[in-house]
Amino acid sequence: TTRRDLVPDRVPRVRRASGNNNARCERASPRDRRARARARACGARPSRSRQLFVFRGASEEESGRMIHFALLFSRQGKVRLSKYYKPYSQKERAKMVKEVTTQILARPSKLCNVVEHRNLKLVYRRYASLYFCVAVDDTENELIVLEIIQHYVEILDKYFGNVCELDLIFNFHKAYYILDEVLVAGELQETSKKLIARLVAEQDQLVEAAKIGAVEADGTPLQNP
Amino acid sequence: VASAASSRARRGFGRPRTAGTMPPPTVGVAKTKSKEFYDIVRQIGECKNKSDEDVIMRREVMTLRTQMASPKLEKTKMKELLIRLMYVDMLGHDASFGYIHAVKATHESDISMKRLGYLATSAFLDEHHDLIILIVNTVQQDLKTDNYLAVCAALTTVCRLVNEETIPAVLTQVVDLLSHRKEQVRKKAVMALHRFHQRSPSSVAHLHGKFRQMLCDKDPSVMSAALCALHDLILADATPHKNLIPSFVSILKQIVEHRLHNYDYHKVPAPFIQIKLLKILAALGTADKAASTEMYSVLSTCLKRGDSGGNVGNAIVYECVRTAASIYPSPVLLEHCAAAVSRFIASSNHNLKYVGLDSLSCIVNINPKYAAEHQMTVVDCLEDADESIRGKTLDLLYRMTKSHNVEVVVEKMIEFLKTSTDKHVRESTAARIGELAERYAPTTQWFIDTMNAMFAIGGDVVKPTVAHNLMRLIGEGSGDVGADETLRRSAVNSYLKLLQTPKLPKVLLEVILWVVGEYGTLSGRSPGELQDVLCGVVETQPDGAAVTSQAMTACAKLAAASAPPALSPAATKLIELAASSRDVNKQQRSHEIVALLRESPALISAALPVDRSGEELGVDENLSFMDALVSKALAEGASPYQPVAERAPPPSAAGFAASGPEPVGALRFDAYDAPQMPARDYGAPPVRVDASRGAYDPYIPREETATAATASEPTLRRKEGTWGADTGFVSTSAPAEPPVKDEKALLADALFSGVTTSSPAAAAAPPAAADDLFGLGLAAPAPTTSVSSPLDDILSQLSVGGGPAPPAGGGVGLEGFLNAPAPPVSGGFDLLGGGAPAPTIVPQFVRQNAPAPAAPVRTDGMVMSPGMDGVSRPRGKKDPFADLLG
Repeated sequence: TTRRDLVPDRVPRVRRASGNNNARCERASPRDRRARARARACGARPSRSRQLFVFRGASEEESGRMIHFALLFSRQGKVRLSKYYKPYSQKERAKMVKEVTTQILARPSKLCNVVEHRNLKLVYRRYASLYFCVAVDDTENELIVLEIIQHYVEILDKYFGNVCELDLIFNFHKAYYILDEVLVAGELQETSKKLIARLVAEQDQLVEAAKIGAVEADGTPLQNP
Repeated sequence: VASAASSRARRGFGRPRTAGTMPPPTVGVAKTKSKEFYDIVRQIGECKNKSDEDVIMRREVMTLRTQMASPKLEKTKMKELLIRLMYVDMLGHDASFGYIHAVKATHESDISMKRLGYLATSAFLDEHHDLIILIVNTVQQDLKTDNYLAVCAALTTVCRLVNEETIPAVLTQVVDLLSHRKEQVRKKAVMALHRFHQRSPSSVAHLHGKFRQMLCDKDPSVMSAALCALHDLILADATPHKNLIPSFVSILKQIVEHRLHNYDYHKVPAPFIQIKLLKILAALGTADKAASTEMYSVLSTCLKRGDSGGNVGNAIVYECVRTAASIYPSPVLLEHCAAAVSRFIASSNHNLKYVGLDSLSCIVNINPKYAAEHQMTVVDCLEDADESIRGKTLDLLYRMTKSHNVEVVVEKMIEFLKTSTDKHVRESTAARIGELAERYAPTTQWFIDTMNAMFAIGGDVVKPTVAHNLMRLIGEGSGDVGADETLRRSAVNSYLKLLQTPKLPKVLLEVILWVVGEYGTLSGRSPGELQDVLCGVVETQPDGAAVTSQAMTACAKLAAASAPPALSPAATKLIELAASSRDVNKQQRSHEIVALLRESPALISAALPVDRSGEELGVDENLSFMDALVSKALAEGASPYQPVAERAPPPSAAGFAASGPEPVGALRFDAYDAPQMPARDYGAPPVRVDASRGAYDPYIPREETATAATASEPTLRRKEGTWGADTGFVSTSAPAEPPVKDEKALLADALFSGVTTSSPAAAAAPPAAADDLFGLGLAAPAPTTSVSSPLDDILSQLSVGGGPAPPAGGGVGLEGFLNAPAPPVSGGFDLLGGGAPAPTIVPQFVRQNAPAPAAPVRTDGMVMSPGMDGVSRPRGKKDPFADLLG
């Protein structure tokens, strides 16, 4: 412990476990070592700040979520589709949407498709007047995220038959269903286009069949209703 | 739709579509919604600004509210209303009134209604919402139904909405679904278990074997879902999964050899699964030479195939580079990677350039020589129009910074800070400048100058910690008395000069006030003069109370330093004014300072010593200095301290206790006694208690402590230990407090816990010795101090070539692997590959018998323990303990 005077409280400097600089965390600088030696000489106990740090690390909210949210918006900044894979409050969502749309819409078209936003990376792609934007972890592979977007759009295209913005506006729940087949809980779930097309078609068929009551108990449609 | 917005909207993504005049829903989907819905969507599309939109939406909310509440509502109508409600929610308006209807829809037996209910629920709610409890039951039932659509919808919802409390409710059913006949259900069940693991790892700790089992599922999409889960498990702890490496390698090999049909994407075989596998291998091979050696051959195949695969191929190549950089390095593989990186960086495609910079910083961590050939490009990127690329370049420079180039890099970063506008980017840049400057500062003078420059430019985003570090550096010095004094003198002088600038950032002002207070006299000016300067600061700087109180403290220190301790007239006025301030902090400081200056010079210099901020302060946690007070109080008849646990229960409880001991919670079957008036002897005079404290013990523990706490509150001071009670500030009621031994300790904690936790000794400074960790030709050339032009300079600094060649014998050469015959695979997609042991049971034992992977030995003889190398860490999750235990 050091003498504290009447200066405003000093905040202990807690080192974050930052990305690529693990090496330096292991060793203490000479200055630091001197300070610790002095503290020991005075009979001080080892400081508590490190333990605090451990506690904080352990209680951290779960991580390891690849995609945090997906957002579709028009060139006017109107949201067409939004899917959140992390609990955000309605207020946070509104704020986020505003920040994200302004940040991306302000970018000239020639620049790269990645923007950093807080501790996330926004990967976006423009299709005609629609922007598809996905927020991922800082360490994610940007190129494959771009391909995930492309993958989704291709599936939409296949499903709607040459998709356009209006299809999405009026059938956004369908787009949601498809998105649920592609991404679950922030992870890419299905990677085969054919398979997704088959699954979604199957589901539509089933729903239609269920409507007219021509469905068996286990959900398969009757062959000849 | 005649509006401009809609006509823009009508343009298709792909081929142009014949423009119709009506919004007609689509080819594949029948028009199922009412006119109202289309009208709303159209109006939203047509409105020009946000306020118009809000008006429409408010009206829509009103309509929905009344319609949903109406008792006779058809199901199809309800479905549409829910879709409209989702639309309202999506546009950011409050739809909470309808959440319950979405939950109700999940109870319906009609499958389309149920699916929509689940979709809406997962859009509206999150895992902390109260309504979650209402859908748990439905989800449980749906997980058991035969209709696989209902099961899938329920599983998707579970992934989104499960929280720690609800996991056990559905866990067994989800596990059962792992053997469902539909591969789609199995896949979603794996995803759900993965999600459970993310939410609460302990809940599925016993199921890790299941993930391995699902890896062998005959359906590739189930396998890929299991890969996601295993990736998370491996990031958390790779050791138990090392025996899966041959399986992963074999799966990857088969994918690359195009055995997985149906999963092609732009003619590249299953790129998404490839990348997942590469990430897993990166996590498994980190700092493990034996494991890494198994991967070299498949990685180089991947790299080669990816090179000709268009966009998605580049993604694979990029991932290969990252994997190669995080496993134990193979020189041959790294050469291939370097070639790929060159291609990326030289590309005119901005995305490729961006990932190129990132992958360069990965491989530069291993061998700095790769940066040499790209220095021109990197310098160009610093001037790029794209802020993302500029930021990434600084990222690269940040990782390449060593003591020889720190000055240039920091200069560039400060320039970036000047131009950048985004708050978060500025914040992280400022933090990095602080970190680099502190770690690699060539001279302390440079450090202080840099800090001043940074505060001046980015004062709004600098974290207080950076300022505290600066203060500590000045205060503690380097141990060399002469140098320290020069440093402090120059700091004081530069700060006194800076004080004339108007509107200094608050953090900087804080530093200045502290430094001037501590070391102001080194500037040669008299303490009185300095005090006047500080009082002037209070007038000119806009920051108000905080600045005033800091200036007061600084004045007090300067006053203590002058020959007869005295405040200057201006400072006296400032402090007197503060005595009647509304700000309690200012008021208290003022009283303290005035009272302190009345004391003897010896006491003053003990309380405010000159230049001893770095010294240790002995804290007597037992508060032994209070022993005299305690024994005196005891002698006067106060009762000794009793710990809370031993005290008698308060009187009110005692009344009940007296009626007879009764086991808590036991039922009484006999009647209670009739109530009685307490007997009172009105004849006796009331008891008087003032005579002797011994006769009547006024000590009621709870109240007493409460009053003691309130009484002593305003006099809590940080320096209780050295000042003692004789300064006259302890409120007069406090000494009467009974001797409370344990609570003394508590008080001590309250008083000094801040001191112990904020010890700078704990806030360790980063090692300066990390410079030449890799010993690869970075033996810090002397910094060139004469900077002719920044461009020339950065070129010379970045050039780190000329180091010794990369470790040659480091790994087993790739050739051996390439020539080795591939394991025979009988046709079709064999997940585990020929020869590769089944991942579930056997290999665990096989590999356990093998010697544990020793710490990889580098060619230069340096043993790398995990974490020491700085390169061989998994990206993403970090073990928070590693840094502490390492």
